[in-house]
Amino acid sequence: MSQNTRPKWARILLIVGRIALAAIFLIAGYAKVRPQFAMPWSVGSVRTSLSMFAMQVDSYQMLPPWAVNAVAHVLPFFELFLGLWLLTGIALRFSSILSVLAFCAFMTAIASAYHRGLGINCGCGIGPVEQVGPAALIRDGLKFLPLALAVTFGSFWIRRKPAPNAVTVPEAAPSTQS
Amino acid sequence: MKTYGSSTAPITMEVFTDYECPSCRNLFEGTLRPMIADYVANGKVYLIHHDFPLPMHKHGYEAARWANAAARVGQFQNVEAALYDNQNYWGTDGNIAKYVSAAMSPAEFQRVQKLMVGCEDQTTAAVTSPSLKNAAQTTHSCALDSYIEKDRALGMTIPVNSTPTYVISYKGQRLPAGSGVVSWPILKQFFDSLLNQ
Repeated sequence: MSQNTRPKWARILLIVGRIALAAIFLIAGYAKVRPQFAMPWSVGSVRTSLSMFAMQVDSYQMLPPWAVNAVAHVLPFFELFLGLWLLTGIALRFSSILSVLAFCAFMTAIASAYHRGLGINCGCGIGPVEQVGPAALIRDGLKFLPLALAVTFGSFWIRRKPAPNAVTVPEAAPSTQS
Repeated sequence: MKTYGSSTAPITMEVFTDYECPSCRNLFEGTLRPMIADYVANGKVYLIHHDFPLPMHKHGYEAARWANAAARVGQFQNVEAALYDNQNYWGTDGNIAKYVSAAMSPAEFQRVQKLMVGCEDQTTAAVTSPSLKNAAQTTHSCALDSYIEKDRALGMTIPVNSTPTYVISYKGQRLPAGSGVVSWPILKQFFDSLLNQ
């Protein structure tokens, strides 16, 4: 007989949050690798899409060309990997922490570009093309980052063992009386 | 007339810039210049310049007028280079004519000066766009303004929210606009990926 120490609604909420967070990363990653110019899927068309994303990374003017290429060719696949990892729910504590770090890094880049007065597109691939600035920061700061933090907190809370003196409610055993 | 290269090139790049914008200068000197010398010269890219002077730049609109006048006499490329190369100077004192005249022969400069008749009024140079904040309408007494306004109207459809903004087209299909400075190695990599399809 198992003892559920956390309410069922909390576990359901965590699943919903995890799936929503996974969807964000999957959409962001997909948007960066999908073929442009109505090209069919191929290695060449994906390479073109990644080169296009490299231009957006380059516009932040934070990295030398070799680092721009490294980020542009790794980040989309990292996002896809992280999205799938979140979807599975395996080692959720670690995948959710990684998602928080990813959002923080992205918000830092946006803030840096905005601080330097760069009128560039955020290049996030989520939603319509948007310029870096308070709107993009608010979107990430008020919607995505809290979700990632909530999933992270929830994943730790769900796994946490109850206090020794805590009263737990065991599951009702099936009745054997006729 | 404000173009570089052949219109038959497989890739077209349209750039919306303000001559007084430092980022536009960085894009021109660090990216467009090597691109013109290489990919435009080799028929791979067709570069089109569009004017999009911003309201916060005191001399940007006037610089665009000079560039358009130069385009009418076939000297756009030299004048554009001169404007960006000397942006720090004329951006401070507003003496654009000095650098325009140095970019062409005296006879050509005389023709440009005739085209600039009626365009010297500084009050009409500070034109703002309705799509930007603190928009203000102004009158256009200069005949060259029609070319600038045509470019700005095209920019509104993109839409251009800052300069530089560029739009790349390949085989008749247009990519979403990009903005900011992109380095030549990164841009070249993108062009190569298109051309190698």
